[in-house]
Amino acid sequence: MYEQDGESIFVIDAHVHLWDATEENIKHQGGEEFIQCFYDYHTTFTPEDLEWEMDEYRKYGADRMVEDLFGNAAADMAIFQPTYLTDFYEDGFNTTHQNAELATEYPERFVLNGSFDPRDGEAGMEHLEELHDTYDIQGVKLYTAEWRGESKGWRLDDEEAFEFLEKCEELGIENIHPHKGPTIRPLNRDAFDVKDVDDAASSFPDLNFVVEHVGLPRLDDFCWIAGQEPNVYGGLAVAAPFAQNRPGKFSEILSELLWWLGEDRVLFGSDYAIWNPDWLVEEVMEAELTEEHRAEYGVEWDLETKKKVMGENAAELYDIDIEAKKAQFREDEISQQFGLEDHYAGEEPAAADD
Amino acid sequence: MTDRESDGPAPPVTREAVRDRLDCVTDPELDRSIVELEYVDAIEIDGDRVTIHVTLPTAWCSPAFAWMMAADAREEVESLPGVERGRIYLHEHMHEAEINRGVNAGLSFEDAFPDADGGIDPVRAELDRKARIARQYDAVEVLQEAGLDPETIVSLRLRDFERADRDDRVTIYLADRAVGVTVPAEPIDDYLEKARETGITDAPTDVLFRTPEGEPIDPEEFELVHRRGRLTQVNMSGQGGICDGLREARENRLERTPSD
Repeated sequence: MYEQDGESIFVIDAHVHLWDATEENIKHQGGEEFIQCFYDYHTTFTPEDLEWEMDEYRKYGADRMVEDLFGNAAADMAIFQPTYLTDFYEDGFNTTHQNAELATEYPERFVLNGSFDPRDGEAGMEHLEELHDTYDIQGVKLYTAEWRGESKGWRLDDEEAFEFLEKCEELGIENIHPHKGPTIRPLNRDAFDVKDVDDAASSFPDLNFVVEHVGLPRLDDFCWIAGQEPNVYGGLAVAAPFAQNRPGKFSEILSELLWWLGEDRVLFGSDYAIWNPDWLVEEVMEAELTEEHRAEYGVEWDLETKKKVMGENAAELYDIDIEAKKAQFREDEISQQFGLEDHYAGEEPAAADD
Repeated sequence: MTDRESDGPAPPVTREAVRDRLDCVTDPELDRSIVELEYVDAIEIDGDRVTIHVTLPTAWCSPAFAWMMAADAREEVESLPGVERGRIYLHEHMHEAEINRGVNAGLSFEDAFPDADGGIDPVRAELDRKARIARQYDAVEVLQEAGLDPETIVSLRLRDFERADRDDRVTIYLADRAVGVTVPAEPIDDYLEKARETGITDAPTDVLFRTPEGEPIDPEEFELVHRRGRLTQVNMSGQGGICDGLREARENRLERTPSD
């Protein structure tokens, strides 16, 4: 939990991965280019002294991940968002099964999401059911620009995609996380075009669409759609680390999001291991909106808003009882491992004097 | 590169002239000049042949965007008097082979990328549309600062604008030309350029300012439309921040990698 103004803010990192980009796992040149591109994102927005070496970045493993996320209580819980990329990586890049290694060891700390690809047809439908039966998933991460044979992507408003969304509804998988972020290797068609979310969201009002990376570089299309569809949310991964070295830009983007979506529909995510919550949470928590932006947009990045964005909004979507979690974490394995029992000891810290 | 000097009476092509031409080429996603963005690595002039070397912020830059910049750069360079042939070489891009071959041979995008879903015109049109929306914001801001109200702004037409005595100002005539308001020309000119390109102002009687969808603006929606213009700008400059950062990160990485 992050301590600020005498209060403890429960942090759910709503976007994390446990990936394997070792050379042995890469089977297509795209896999190498993909991890190099990720690495550029990492170094671009990570303080220089906290940058990783490429080798550790390719595969960091479960132990390191647990320590990075929870060791200094930067995050209290995390949501796995899988990225299959099975045309690029032998065993996949970051699949639900890979993530399950950690998620099933510490089920109290992790939410495990699944995925589907409508191009997989009947087999894909069975895979989704299997993920649901095995892991009781409540959400899916979708990667509409993923290559699959000849195909360079798919759209959420395709008829086949609608069949999968119907299946999600039927299985009670309520949280749909389409990756709508930086374009990665489509040719001419923009596979991360955000407009397909509009039709899907209005056709499935009982599902929640958390648009990861807030559509960047289509923040404008995203905000316009989200302004009209109440079941569309914004995931801050990629936008969050602007807080560290582009604070003015961060202020501006966050102001836009709070103006168009309001404080109940924005979710914090680190995109670990692209960025590490062990420093990113603090950067975002200590970030301020510029006076100019506060005046222009009439929004605030105050304690109440931070509580929602950093944890409560994700808790709402995933039925997480934050108070019960705090009680549970007084003695769970991770708290014991890192000596965090006192951190979760229940007493609100005394209010600061100032 | 050859060290052969051109000894004929060829018209002199200067680096500055080439750079000025390239300055007209924009990164279509950011609506900023590729010169200003420092994408241009080198300009080589060999008589009537000009070769341009370009590196984009990431190897993953959309091939369609990369294509547009390379094709536009070639066209601009070849429009210079004295240039017989312009060649563009993109470096460190995942599709540099297809793009360099295609653009320099004058192929269409579809011919260079047979497995693309179609041409790039719709992509270009969409980015031009966004550039217009973003530029409209700045133009409307100067009009508001000059005291024009929303009802007036949404009804302005091309014929209401006139170049003022000073080159950097334009005058807007209102109320049957009874009143003239003078404002800085640059944001207006920038807007008009993009409005023309996107077919918004074909006739002098067309209303100039539009919704992002291209419709005339209902005064009641003026604030919302203006907010959307601001949002489009925030998006472009936010993406510019990402591109800037990625370019630096890649340069650092390449510097660290020992070359063989």
